[in-house]
Amino acid sequence: MTSHYSSSEIEAFLDEALDADKMAAIESSLREDKELLGQVAEVISRRDAGIHSLGEIWRRHRVSCPSREDLGSYLLEVLPGPQQLYLRFHLETVGCRMCQANLEDLQLQQAGGDQGRQARRKRYFESSAGYLRRDD
Amino acid sequence: MEADQHLVERIRRQEPEAWNDLIARYEGRLQAYISRRLTNRSAVEDIVQETFIGFLNSLPNYDGRRPLESYLFSISSNKLTDHLRRENRRPTIVPAAASSNHSEWQHAGNQRAASSIVRSDERRTIEEHALRDALKKQVEYWRERDDWLKIQCMELIIVRGWPNKQTAGELGVSQQKVASVKHEFIKALTRSVRSRGLPEEVFPELYETG
Repeated sequence: MTSHYSSSEIEAFLDEALDADKMAAIESSLREDKELLGQVAEVISRRDAGIHSLGEIWRRHRVSCPSREDLGSYLLEVLPGPQQLYLRFHLETVGCRMCQANLEDLQLQQAGGDQGRQARRKRYFESSAGYLRRDD
Repeated sequence: MEADQHLVERIRRQEPEAWNDLIARYEGRLQAYISRRLTNRSAVEDIVQETFIGFLNSLPNYDGRRPLESYLFSISSNKLTDHLRRENRRPTIVPAAASSNHSEWQHAGNQRAASSIVRSDERRTIEEHALRDALKKQVEYWRERDDWLKIQCMELIIVRGWPNKQTAGELGVSQQKVASVKHEFIKALTRSVRSRGLPEEVFPELYETG
């Protein structure tokens, strides 16, 4: 069986940075595709050896990610046409998970549809504030 | 960025209001990031919670120059991966060279073992940051000129790992155009790496495709 994934995609898989559908597809393939397993193992070895990958650095440092403000403007469709198209490309074709998450968060805020948000924040605060005091 | 740095400084001073502000600012996007991979609401919230606790635990080592959002996403990604492993969705994979020797790993087409150059973590970080700066400079240069096509082209090649032909097909341009953009990009990066006196062996892609 031949793997259909590039090394860049494997790296993104290891960093939980690939589009969710693709993540699930790779997880599924790994159960039976020995070649893919070997490919993933090789990427891990390469990282361990300290070899830099352009894709990894690009993704990790979010070289082409738009700002959250730009994502807000994208949502409101007030960006200049070419930039609006570029953002759609970055979100949908490149499938940037961090930008997708930001956009989804902004959409929920705009729609006012996340009723549990305040209660959730309170829970997060209460469960973590003790660690804040421990740190000095 | 400055607002985040100020927020982190206040958290370091153990101000609960600052911690509350950080949670309010970031929990929504972290929730969205994890929700794309898990349907169980309670598991999603557990991972967001672990992310915040992980952030506080790592605060003494956090470099305030690193973007806070990216840092939180990286903690979240690790917590999510741990969860998926526990759920048997993500296998634990042994590195390919584990049975032999990592230090002898060589990139195809590159005759010298990269790790034959002994490098500390600090040195690797310097290399990575040099390449990051070069990448950002090039993308910013294109962005200022509304050259979105070139950014798209390199995103498909570098980030997705697509070949020229597939990239050209997606963007509706010729393969020659793609090759030309790639050449311009690699040349700029190579120049930058050389000007800083960094070892070429640790950036094999620049010299294989350049």
